[in-house]
Amino acid sequence: MNISKLEKRSAIGTFLYSIVGLYVVCFAAIAASNEPDLPQRFDYHSIRGRQASGPSSGILEGEDHLVLKGKSRVQAMSNFGNGWSGNAHLLWDGKLGEAMETSFRVERASRYRLGVQLTDAPDYGIFSIHLNDKEIHKGVDTYANRVQLHAFVDLGEMTLKAGQQKLVFKLTSANAAARKFRGAGYLMGLDYLKLVDIDPLEKDPGNDKDGDDPKIRVAEVKFDEVKPIIAQFCIRCHGGGKEIEGELDLRKFVTTDDFLNNIKVTQKILKAIDQREMPPEDEKQPSEQHFGMLSTLMHSYIDQYVQASSELSPVVMRRLNRYEYNNAVRDLMGLRGDVYPLPEKTIRPARKYFNPASGRYPDAVTVGNRTLGKNQVEKPILTGVVPYAIDLQSEHGFNNRGDELSVSPILFESFLKLGSSIVNSPEFDRYCTTTATFFNAPPDLSVEQQVELARERLSPWLEAAFRSRVDRATEDRYVDYFARQVKTGKSFSASMKGVVGAVLASPRFLYVTEQKHVAVQTKELEKRDAGRSHELQLDDYELATRLSFFLWSSIPDKQLLDLARKGELQNPDVLETQIHRMLEDPKSQALATNFARQWLRIDQLITAVPDFDRFQVYYSRIGCEQWKFGLQTMVEPLLLFESIMVEDRSIMLLIDCNYSFRSDELQSWYKDATPFAKRQNRNRFNTNQQSYRRRPLDTRREGGIITSAATLTMTSSPLRTSPITRGAWVATVIFNQPPPPPPDTVPSIEEDDAKIEATGQTLRQRLKQHQSNKSCVSCHAKIDPLGFALENYDAVGRWREKYSSGLPIDSSGELFGKEKFTDVVELKDAILKHPEWFMRAFGEHLLSYALGRELEIADKPAVDRILREVMKDRGKFSTVVVGVAKSYPFLHKADQRQETSNAK
Amino acid sequence: MSNSLTSISRRTLLRGCGAAMALPLLDVMSHRGFAAVENPPTRTAFFYIPNGVVQSVWHPQEIGKGFTLSPTLEPLAPVREKISLFTKLDRIKVAGTDGHAQAGACWLSSAAPDELSPAGYPLKKTIDQIIADEAGKHTAFRSLELSCNPYEDNKESVYFDNISWYGHGHVARSLRDPKKVFQRLFAVKEHAEHRSVLDLVLEDAKSLDRKLGRLDRDKLGEYLQSVRTVEQQIARVTKRQAEIDELKLQPPTKPWQAMSRDEFIQVMGDLMILALQTDLTRVATLMSSPERWGSPLMVHGVFNKPIQHHGMTHGQGNENVRRELSQLDRFHVEQFTRLVAKMDAIPEGDGTLLDNMIFTLGSGISDGSLHIYTDLPTVIAGRGGGRITGDRHVKSPVGTPIANLWLSMAQAMGVKTERIADSTGPLKEFTS
Repeated sequence: MNISKLEKRSAIGTFLYSIVGLYVVCFAAIAASNEPDLPQRFDYHSIRGRQASGPSSGILEGEDHLVLKGKSRVQAMSNFGNGWSGNAHLLWDGKLGEAMETSFRVERASRYRLGVQLTDAPDYGIFSIHLNDKEIHKGVDTYANRVQLHAFVDLGEMTLKAGQQKLVFKLTSANAAARKFRGAGYLMGLDYLKLVDIDPLEKDPGNDKDGDDPKIRVAEVKFDEVKPIIAQFCIRCHGGGKEIEGELDLRKFVTTDDFLNNIKVTQKILKAIDQREMPPEDEKQPSEQHFGMLSTLMHSYIDQYVQASSELSPVVMRRLNRYEYNNAVRDLMGLRGDVYPLPEKTIRPARKYFNPASGRYPDAVTVGNRTLGKNQVEKPILTGVVPYAIDLQSEHGFNNRGDELSVSPILFESFLKLGSSIVNSPEFDRYCTTTATFFNAPPDLSVEQQVELARERLSPWLEAAFRSRVDRATEDRYVDYFARQVKTGKSFSASMKGVVGAVLASPRFLYVTEQKHVAVQTKELEKRDAGRSHELQLDDYELATRLSFFLWSSIPDKQLLDLARKGELQNPDVLETQIHRMLEDPKSQALATNFARQWLRIDQLITAVPDFDRFQVYYSRIGCEQWKFGLQTMVEPLLLFESIMVEDRSIMLLIDCNYSFRSDELQSWYKDATPFAKRQNRNRFNTNQQSYRRRPLDTRREGGIITSAATLTMTSSPLRTSPITRGAWVATVIFNQPPPPPPDTVPSIEEDDAKIEATGQTLRQRLKQHQSNKSCVSCHAKIDPLGFALENYDAVGRWREKYSSGLPIDSSGELFGKEKFTDVVELKDAILKHPEWFMRAFGEHLLSYALGRELEIADKPAVDRILREVMKDRGKFSTVVVGVAKSYPFLHKADQRQETSNAK
Repeated sequence: MSNSLTSISRRTLLRGCGAAMALPLLDVMSHRGFAAVENPPTRTAFFYIPNGVVQSVWHPQEIGKGFTLSPTLEPLAPVREKISLFTKLDRIKVAGTDGHAQAGACWLSSAAPDELSPAGYPLKKTIDQIIADEAGKHTAFRSLELSCNPYEDNKESVYFDNISWYGHGHVARSLRDPKKVFQRLFAVKEHAEHRSVLDLVLEDAKSLDRKLGRLDRDKLGEYLQSVRTVEQQIARVTKRQAEIDELKLQPPTKPWQAMSRDEFIQVMGDLMILALQTDLTRVATLMSSPERWGSPLMVHGVFNKPIQHHGMTHGQGNENVRRELSQLDRFHVEQFTRLVAKMDAIPEGDGTLLDNMIFTLGSGISDGSLHIYTDLPTVIAGRGGGRITGDRHVKSPVGTPIANLWLSMAQAMGVKTERIADSTGPLKEFTS
């Protein structure tokens, strides 16, 4: 692509070009269809479901999508709980022998997998299911002594022609315990039908043409072409003048190699260009087209560098953090719940509501919050089990990085105690679903028989515990350990518990490890290594483990292990199917609990202390400082995240969303000048749990995470907002560009805005005064506008038109020197205008979380690819997840040999 | 001289402590002649205060013996016979990491400024752990790391919350919960049960080792080292089981979340003193609070509203803020003094526990508003087994590394080394 072509491109096209380099090809089409000056608003609201990649799936709601015939009618189900998709089901009644008849439509002849979600109740019958006059399922008994969801019924795979499909539920009989409906017949409730196209259309092969080698990128702009631009706009300060600004002398950069050999500088140049940090505001600015060319060239240098000389940085073997340990033990033993209380779980459901397979997030969830603080959740679950201390997050990352997860003698002691205290807890046998099949043995077995039985059970169990093939020697060690105990007279069960206690302290359980050696150096490998590749593919078990810790914060389940054992997991189609299956498993809630919580740094709200006198509204009981009503806000952004995840919507909703989950009290908090007016006695709040309902929002001032009260409160001081903290939070969380640490000399300003305003100045004016220093301005010019844009929200996140003193609020600014805005809604528009900024950042956060390490330059091509896919799907959540899990850095590991030679 | 403190009755001390103290611990402390401590060894402990101190009210005008205590140091008056103030001791700040993280994590580091860990900190084994290599050879626990970190928001990384490190990337993670500290030190029976598991997991570690890369080996090394330490610990604790049982100790009952600041620091301090007194360990570190952590915090009895220590340090240009900040500094000195006084009330040999202590109060930052690492606040309490005289202000020549003090301290504790970090030689005045 040459420059003359570039010039013809629309403004949007040029911009995208600058961001994604070569991949503009696929965006050009989008841009071309738009008016150059009036880009259509990026549509992300319509993104739903998991159709775009992988097997397509559809949920047909009984109440919405199925044809109502005869006695069928819609019944609202919210009185019975939150579990019903759409909070309603299709209700039918009839006598024995009668049938409920309905139909649905498929657009395409294909092979489908069909399943149905029914309701159970005391007066519900037994049904056979017929599709297009063929019986496909017998005898589903929907009797239960209470109203509840029946277990999901999988109806198997079938080939369907395009068009209307007839579906019949025949009332064949009824459970003996069921009572008759109106003395004559029985009822049936159909929540939804699930239809998965398992033979989706072939993807357009053209899309993946450059997909074979993620590292190959082509430079489209030549250095000679940008030389005049640099000469015109950059050299005067960077090399031409008496002083060299920023220690960067661009006269020394005359060949490609100069850029490649100083790749850190090249990265800085790219960032300065893409974010319009340079040239400084008061200097002459290059045209957008020139910016685009500079950016493309720098991108290409970085890609060349990565291709030629950069290896993935190694993922250090890492200890399980406390949350992962809990999940791993829970899943390994089949426990009915958590091992110990986890303050990591911000949301505490009153009932199970998280059902990602349904594709529908409930419209109301009843969950606990932290009104009473963390102590409320610290009641032990198993007597005598004491968890170890929470692992702290990395400065700009997550608490799953090997280099920060150490084991000290104290911690090792904790592991020793934990393992044995769990299995020996008095509640354990009842709490564990594998007690009968794993820990108990038939009576009267000889010692030999007991040992034999133990081996039979331990062999697959150790594979699951260690997430790897277990050699005979290891198996023998644990079987011997068992045998020694049995021989001293311990029972089978006690001896098994001894083995489990020991396994839970083994490094093979406690660490996620990947084999870094290739056992045999074959000719073939040597040949391959002669090139650039110093990376190895993960083995299947390692891949299963990375996947499960990424999506579940836990160990792989049986299906993953089976695939790993058979060596099938590396198959891209199998892999993708598994990723979707894992996302549809309730265990994927870990992404919200563990990833989103840390990404948003939402824990910081716990210690926020808005001034008690000035922000009474934050406290639920008058005169009682420790009961913070405001902590209710903490679950709001997390529920939004979960809904986007479950319904597979666009991540752009995190920026600007037209709905939110709020309790009645929380709604009043946002909406009423004097909240809770209707409820005079605030002592009556249920401090344990509230019902959070999905509410449509009538203003774009609300919605999304940036303008949620939780994040706005935790980035404020007790007596005023803190625009710099807010700006730094937005830069870090939304754009993944944490500002550098402040310099050592930081001038301070009053901690009380009332005192500032008494002097006739606003906080903004005061801050500006303090940043007259040139060295401060360059950073703050980027951070501060993001914070000032939020000045209309007070220190507890409530909207205000003016400061309390009556001074006007100025929330205008510029986003990365590119997009001007006058208020927070326009800020959201500015972010939406460049969705790739947030999408890239989100992809980077998620990839870093998935890998358990910081991202490096070598990861850039992978992030570019993820971004490309995500842009195509307009931010669809599962596309980000699939992109991360199928990315090069996720599927590979750094090779030990290379690592050693680098170490010197 | 040493009587100046023993004349303070225990009741006076208690009154100073606030009524809600965990009393059973203190009762134990008054036991004269705890069996194990016949020839009392020298012990060392560190008390960390974050974010520096207000310089103008920290530094006394006079130097040498009998100097007039500065306003912030006034609380030390009752124990001044056994304290030394050191000024003009420096650390060199290394660019590239957060000023507060480095201040705390590297305060006791034995890494010279040009020795950087992969994470960019001049951080390797800290001085307390170097001492523990020697002094911990025979005690049940090689060292004890405590933190009175009251925050539950997990805002800062591991580098802000820990001053004790086995090596770079290998933190000697501090315990925050007094109940857990108690369990660790005194719940003897639980230790013994686990011995049989150790062989098994060591074998697993060996089989794992064959497959690992270099960085992974370091991580596994941490694990192995921990297993060995616990192995020794079990053996040594078991030996002393009878004695410990005899103390009939009761664990602290109040949850730490419900404790006021002074209460929390004193309960942790009591546990530390108890471990030192009973010679379960000879090396301890106690963080009064973690570095930075800008979250508001209630300090009962000093302020009537939650304060942000870190924010205040940057606001000390303002006179009111500076005055409040110096009250907080004073509060920390008071907490230290109370622990010192308790040590001096515990009879040991011919003197008191304090006579056999080297108990250092300090911070990794001097002036918090500027993140300065020069002229670090440093007070040493105790006589170090008769090595150290008290009641003096030692002002070192400009540019003296604080590593010189750490070197002297390590040598006094029996470590055979001539150099620690960027030390230029032992600090002569340490023992004179």
